[in-house]
Amino acid sequence: MNNRWERVSLSQEESERIFRKARSFAGDVWFRFRRKPTALLGLILALLMVLFGLIGPFMTPYNYSQQETKLANIPPLMTVYPGPDDSYFFVTEALKVIEVDPEGHLVRQLRKKEDDAKHKQTSFKYDDDTSVVLDYSIKPYVMLDEYGQRIEQGVRKWNASHLLGTDHLGRDILTRLMYGARISLMVAFIAATVNMLIGILYGGVSGYLGGRTDAIMMRVVDIIATIPLTLYVILIKVCLDDGLISIIVALSSVYWVDMARVVRGQVLSLKNQEFVLAARTIGSSTKNILLRHLIPNAMGPILVTVTMLIPSAIFMEAFMSFIGIGIAPPMASLGTMCNDATEALRTNPYQLFLPAIAICIIMFAFNFIGDGLRDALDPKLKK
Amino acid sequence: MNKDVPVLRVQDLTKHFPAGRGKVVHAVDNVSFQIPRGKTFGLVGESGCGKSTCARTIIRIYEPTGGKVYLGHDDISILSQKELLPHRQRMQMIFQDPYASLNARMTVHDIIAEPLRAHGVFASRQEESERVNDMLAQVGLNREHASRYAHEFSGGQRQRVGIARALIIHPELVICDEPISALDVSIQAQIVNMLRKFQQEQALTYLFIAHDLSMVRYVSDEVGVMYLGQLVETCAADEIYATPLHPYTQGLLAAIPIPDPKVAREKRAAGLEGDLPSPIDPPSGCRFHTRCPHATERCKAEVPSLKDVGAGHCVACHLIND
Ligand SMILES: Nc1ncnc2c1ncn2[C@@H]1O[C@H](COP(=O)(O)OP(=O)(O)OP(=O)(O)O)[C@@H](O)[C@H]1O
Ligand SMILES: [Mg+2]
Repeated sequence: MNNRWERVSLSQEESERIFRKARSFAGDVWFRFRRKPTALLGLILALLMVLFGLIGPFMTPYNYSQQETKLANIPPLMTVYPGPDDSYFFVTEALKVIEVDPEGHLVRQLRKKEDDAKHKQTSFKYDDDTSVVLDYSIKPYVMLDEYGQRIEQGVRKWNASHLLGTDHLGRDILTRLMYGARISLMVAFIAATVNMLIGILYGGVSGYLGGRTDAIMMRVVDIIATIPLTLYVILIKVCLDDGLISIIVALSSVYWVDMARVVRGQVLSLKNQEFVLAARTIGSSTKNILLRHLIPNAMGPILVTVTMLIPSAIFMEAFMSFIGIGIAPPMASLGTMCNDATEALRTNPYQLFLPAIAICIIMFAFNFIGDGLRDALDPKLKK
Repeated sequence: MNKDVPVLRVQDLTKHFPAGRGKVVHAVDNVSFQIPRGKTFGLVGESGCGKSTCARTIIRIYEPTGGKVYLGHDDISILSQKELLPHRQRMQMIFQDPYASLNARMTVHDIIAEPLRAHGVFASRQEESERVNDMLAQVGLNREHASRYAHEFSGGQRQRVGIARALIIHPELVICDEPISALDVSIQAQIVNMLRKFQQEQALTYLFIAHDLSMVRYVSDEVGVMYLGQLVETCAADEIYATPLHPYTQGLLAAIPIPDPKVAREKRAAGLEGDLPSPIDPPSGCRFHTRCPHATERCKAEVPSLKDVGAGHCVACHLIND
């Protein structure tokens, strides 16, 4: 039997070899990120919302501003009356009768044949010899066929022409949601990018220079931060014109203070580490030290702050649009859609519900991503 | 260049840090020494006595409070950071912590090439990577390592990367701030031998910082002992072991473990007692008097100066100088 405890000899070369797969920082983060289900869910939801906003508008036959007042306030799930030839009728809030085909498409509006004010009945012409009668002498109204027989309602049909219904001006809600998501995401991304750049620059310079410059720059940040941001954005917005640009300007000029603080804190703690001192003794320029040493090492907290900033920017945009100082009509934004919906909240709650859900999904998604990133970037949790 | 001009000459170098409420930390006070070309000056002292501060002030990470630093003929202590830039090629530093001294977001190639890029040595990437690979081979790594990130290496390998980064632009002076104290004993010898090999090949001049005397003897030509921001004794490396004069140096030597217990029992000199006093209010007179077994009234009142007691052996102690 040979000696099992025989010494294994390693050459110098072999003992210096590295067996683990080379993995860059980004690869490492992605590896840990995707192992967290909520983070992955957030990422997928966010990507879906981005696709929804980007590609969606090309897939729909409608336009965000195209109005069809006779089709106003049609819900996604319609309660219809059976009619002749397999067709159905839907009666709108304005007591217009719309013919619906068996698949749920809105075919046409029936022409009014005769208005009998005495009996409180209106008859609508279906074709040359058939017609339906709307009897509003009792409440709620009932539908009668041409022989005066009551037609029972009860069949529910999904609105195939407007999958998510129409709003009070007859605009397709799905289409407006797509445009709304697009605007909201665009505002959020631009605002986040601008905030990130300003914050990194401001915080980086403040932290790196230190001393009195730092003290003054941070007092400015403190002053900006003590004003409630909502109030501040509203004030800026009031001074500027309506429109997309001004909302981006308003959001971009405010939220960088958080970023600046985060970056400054990071830079302060990093700048006395030996690798930064090494770069200084080497003679690297300040720009290189900031861009190649300090900021890449502070990238973790920066990314987390950005992803957390996106939902607040989206919410702020929605909020401003909701109170009427955001995106100008007829442009859709999730906030303006909510605002429009409040008028008919009792009869048509779906009009508020849908954009609100969209806002929730986007905010959830980015919060999940931010959470996941923070965990993935925290080296203390590294397994 | 004139052989007689030392590569580094430090004169009355002083560095004070503000400590709030008008107080100052006397991290380095009136330190003077010089290092001839191709030699190694070992700087030793307890933790917190100001060795790193001294090194960092020389290389101008910190701005000196007072004193002069000559690099060859040039007084670099009066230059602005911008004017200093071309001189930075001539002095480089190797850091203590092999983990903190390499940027975790850069590949080894980028780390080692950074000095070349900062000084625009090579125009083409091709030449640059040849030089980097050459340097990697010289420090005992290979070109496969170039595309790796620092966190994938062991402490010893990282320190080699740090050495490659410091030496790639052929500096005259290399400041080694405890380059081996964070490493395993077996690796320490490898690193020290490598540093010596480079010194012989390129006539490098080292300022070698350590906090114990055992390794310093092996690498240095001359040794300076620092206590609370001041140099208390400088002499040839061998002499400091043979005839240590300052009571602090004797104490430091007594703290080195002696492998042979018999010898150890005989040599049982007085070790150091007490803690390092605060550099914010350093003791009056001789700063060592609070811990010195031979302290007299005079030591408390009068500051001893560094005096040559013969053959280049300098001591700052009233007991010896008289
Ligand atoms: N940036 C700074 N600001 C204020 N005080 C400092 C600063 N750097 C160092 N000091 C102080 O200067 C003194 C000397 O510190 P230094 O780091 O030079 O010691 P050292 O001899 O290198 O110690 P070690 O062996 O632990 O590295 C210490 O008391 C320290 O607290
Ligand atoms: Mg030190």
